[in-house]
Amino acid sequence: MTMTADTRPRTPHTETRHLSMQQALNLALEHSLAADDRTLIFGEDVGRVGGVFRVTDGLQQKFGAARVFDTPLAESGIMGMAVGLAMAGWRPVPELQFDGFSYPAMNQVISQMARMNNRSRGTMPMPITLRLPSFGGIRAPELHGESLESLFAHVPGLKVVSPSTPNEAYHLLRQAIADPDPVVFMEPKSRYWQRGDVLLPAPSDTESDAATAEHETTTPVGTSNVVREGKHATLISWGAMVSTCLQVAEYAAEDGVELEVLDLRWLKPIDAAGIQASVSKTRRAIVVHEAPLTAGLGGEVSAIIMERCFDALRAPVERVTGFDVPYPSGALEDAYLPNADRILNAVQKTLEYRRG
Amino acid sequence: MAEISFELPDLGEGLVEARVLEWLVSIGDMVTRGEPLVEVETTKSAVELPSPQTGVVVTFHAEEDDLLHVGDTLVTFEVDDEQAGIVGTVPKAEAPERRVRLQLPDD
Repeated sequence: MTMTADTRPRTPHTETRHLSMQQALNLALEHSLAADDRTLIFGEDVGRVGGVFRVTDGLQQKFGAARVFDTPLAESGIMGMAVGLAMAGWRPVPELQFDGFSYPAMNQVISQMARMNNRSRGTMPMPITLRLPSFGGIRAPELHGESLESLFAHVPGLKVVSPSTPNEAYHLLRQAIADPDPVVFMEPKSRYWQRGDVLLPAPSDTESDAATAEHETTTPVGTSNVVREGKHATLISWGAMVSTCLQVAEYAAEDGVELEVLDLRWLKPIDAAGIQASVSKTRRAIVVHEAPLTAGLGGEVSAIIMERCFDALRAPVERVTGFDVPYPSGALEDAYLPNADRILNAVQKTLEYRRG
Repeated sequence: MAEISFELPDLGEGLVEARVLEWLVSIGDMVTRGEPLVEVETTKSAVELPSPQTGVVVTFHAEEDDLLHVGDTLVTFEVDDEQAGIVGTVPKAEAPERRVRLQLPDD
């Protein structure tokens, strides 16, 4: 599968390493723990076992069980503790083992974590990064493959982000941890093992937040990324679906159709200007996400395009999404997830459209 | 590559120890999850334990006829890093099928 080409300038770096996303996330956590003594990692099996996806592998050995520790199987407790620790000045990075396990923690996430800064008139910021292995594609059992971005993006006070490559994973996770607000960090499970080049800061900077701060000045929170340029239509996506869209763009090129691929990265705040810039140019747009259609973020993106690019549009915005059903068991996953043909069909619809 | 060890599991009914009767695999064997791994005998019965992991067997931590307590290390596997997730399977890194062809409009 094609890997995302990063077209934006990055913070000056001195080392490039070929890593899986899981390894890139592990390194980002290690560097964040080293950069700030207040950073804490906790969750189910993140300590001794190193996480079910091995993202926290070896961190307890390196930083001790006071900073990287296992919790009971109680998601409400994990997120409640994160809120309390943040109030006391810590920088918690809790993990909820699977997206479907976040439901029992919604009260702590929505009623406490998202609101505390506002409720306390800015005296109790919540620099919490909730790591949430997300989306489907790994043939897992029920409640192990949800797609909850629109739920979180709808809650005022939360930021939401999902990386698409190992390089994005490293930089976005460090950016999320350094951010003063609560961030829901949605890791695409099906891409944990996909490898790519990761551009690391100079070794003198890995153990501080300096490079991340500089990165923030060039690529602030809420910046999307054009991962492939094109002129006939824009595929807009995030997380695991970005590499699917890149594959579709390869197929389209065989037919002489040049698709632009926009990786939104941040789902809150959403990069309306980035969407506008791309769609004003290509004049056609297809939004691709794993979550069900109804009230999914595709509707939000579509509305942004309608508000900002109405006169430029040559066809209605298409949405290629999951269906309005509970996420299916592994055997039916391929029928549920957007695939190349479904996306290509939607592209063709926008190409053929004529005003009536 | 990573190594993963497994302990003698709780065999139920309050049994706290078991004797290794026979290893059903050899060092260096590639075993798949669920394949018969070892036969052990408790005070109640002999039971066959399925392998909890897909991987290459690298170490037996007990010889045949050794008595183990629940929680004692039993066996170590070597596994690909990519197999090291506990839930789910790694998606295949192959290009998806495509049948739909595109056609640009004339203008």
